[in-house]
Amino acid sequence: MNSNNRTLVWDLPTRLFHWLLALAVIGLVVTGKVGGNLIDWHGRIGLVVAGLIVFRLVWGVLGSTYARFATFFPTPGRIAAYLRGEWRGLGHNPLGALSVFALIGVLTVQLLTGLVANDDIAFAGPLHDLVGRDFSNLATSWHRLAVNVLIVLVVLHLAAIMFYAHVKKDNLVKPMVRGWKEGGGEPARGGGLVALLVALALAAAAVYAASGAWLPEPPPPPPAVTTPAW
Amino acid sequence: MKNKLMLALLATALTATAHAQVKTEDAIKWRQSAYATMGWSMARIKANVEGTYNKDEVIKAANVIQAIANSGMGALYVPGSDKGKGWVDTRVKPELFTDGAKVGKIAGDFNQAANELAKVAATGDAGAVKNAFGKLGGTCKSCHDDYRNK
Ligand code: HEC
Ligand code: HEM
Repeated sequence: MNSNNRTLVWDLPTRLFHWLLALAVIGLVVTGKVGGNLIDWHGRIGLVVAGLIVFRLVWGVLGSTYARFATFFPTPGRIAAYLRGEWRGLGHNPLGALSVFALIGVLTVQLLTGLVANDDIAFAGPLHDLVGRDFSNLATSWHRLAVNVLIVLVVLHLAAIMFYAHVKKDNLVKPMVRGWKEGGGEPARGGGLVALLVALALAAAAVYAASGAWLPEPPPPPPAVTTPAW
Repeated sequence: MKNKLMLALLATALTATAHAQVKTEDAIKWRQSAYATMGWSMARIKANVEGTYNKDEVIKAANVIQAIANSGMGALYVPGSDKGKGWVDTRVKPELFTDGAKVGKIAGDFNQAANELAKVAATGDAGAVKNAFGKLGGTCKSCHDDYRNK
């Protein structure tokens, strides 16, 4: 095989984002379902996801060609063309793009509700104190319902990849690992170092915001002498 | 003899009514209060496990949970209390009243975990407490997952 046949589709940041997100989602579903002391890890991994999502949103504007939302935004025209078999392109096809936006959307809901959720046992999201308990309980129920939507989307995502591999003989996993596809086409361009630094800085800011570290310190507990000893 | 019999009958009648008299609203209030009190104790233990460990605080909190766990809270799930309002509208699922054996298993695991936590709390071993605390939290969660509305 000749390296001239390789076309860069997924830049390294996009690939790292993808696999880290996959790991994080597995970790979140497991720690969320198991509970116990693992719920603390659930909170930590959730903060990582805050960074990942914001990174991806920025990278969808500043990243390289096929990572950009504008490149693959699933307009009705593009979807129709795809369904007629007339879509030619690299990167996400219009249906895959729908899956991308749906996944990011549900994850965002999951993230925002999680940040203010509580388990009534021994854990509350870092931004819990910003909303009342009633709203926190409501958000918790959304959190628990929306995760089912997420799981369905992930299953569809995996099923589509299997379909492409076995029926359309197009392995989508390898490009997401190695970055390139065999065959010609426009290689991905853009998404340089500056763009990367901007995206990373905004992702870090998101983690900081989600962590609640900026919330005013809770008033120090009153010294023990002010509460009765019994 | 006759008096004794009367007394016994009266006593039976009284206990029977004492049971029947747990009003739905009270039953729901009491169980909600008991759970909220356990919530307080869990938060207290967690603060100790994560911050400076105070053996006495943890013992107090663990004993509260143990006492509630062994109080026979099942008595507060009187028939008909699958709906109604205590401090707030009840969140119990009707299945809790019909799943007999499965609920019993969860409640038993919960009791055991609460006893274990109280036992290790008495030793003051922070690591063991953290472990037992996580296990107990898991039993709270398994009941909430199945028998409490989201
Ligand atoms: C056998 C099942 C069961 C177990 C075990 C259990 N819970 Fe619950 N919990 C419930 C149910 C049912 C409710 C809803 C009660 C209602 O509204 O009538 C509830 C409600 C609560 C509430 C809300 C109370 C309120 O203010 O309305 C808290 C807090 C809570 N549980 C904490 C805990 C903690 C902490 C543990 C473990 C130490 C625990 N629960 C173990 C079933 C359980
Ligand atoms: C962003 C991706 C996230 C995913 C995929 C996710 C997934 C899950 C899952 C699967 C559960 C178990 C629900 C169930 O028992 O059915 C759960 C519970 C929970 N999550 Fe998340 N979560 C995410 C983010 C967060 C964040 C950021 C926080 C807070 C820091 C959080 C806080 C909680 C809490 C408190 C519960 C317990 C709810 C309960 O037991 O009632 N989650 N989550």
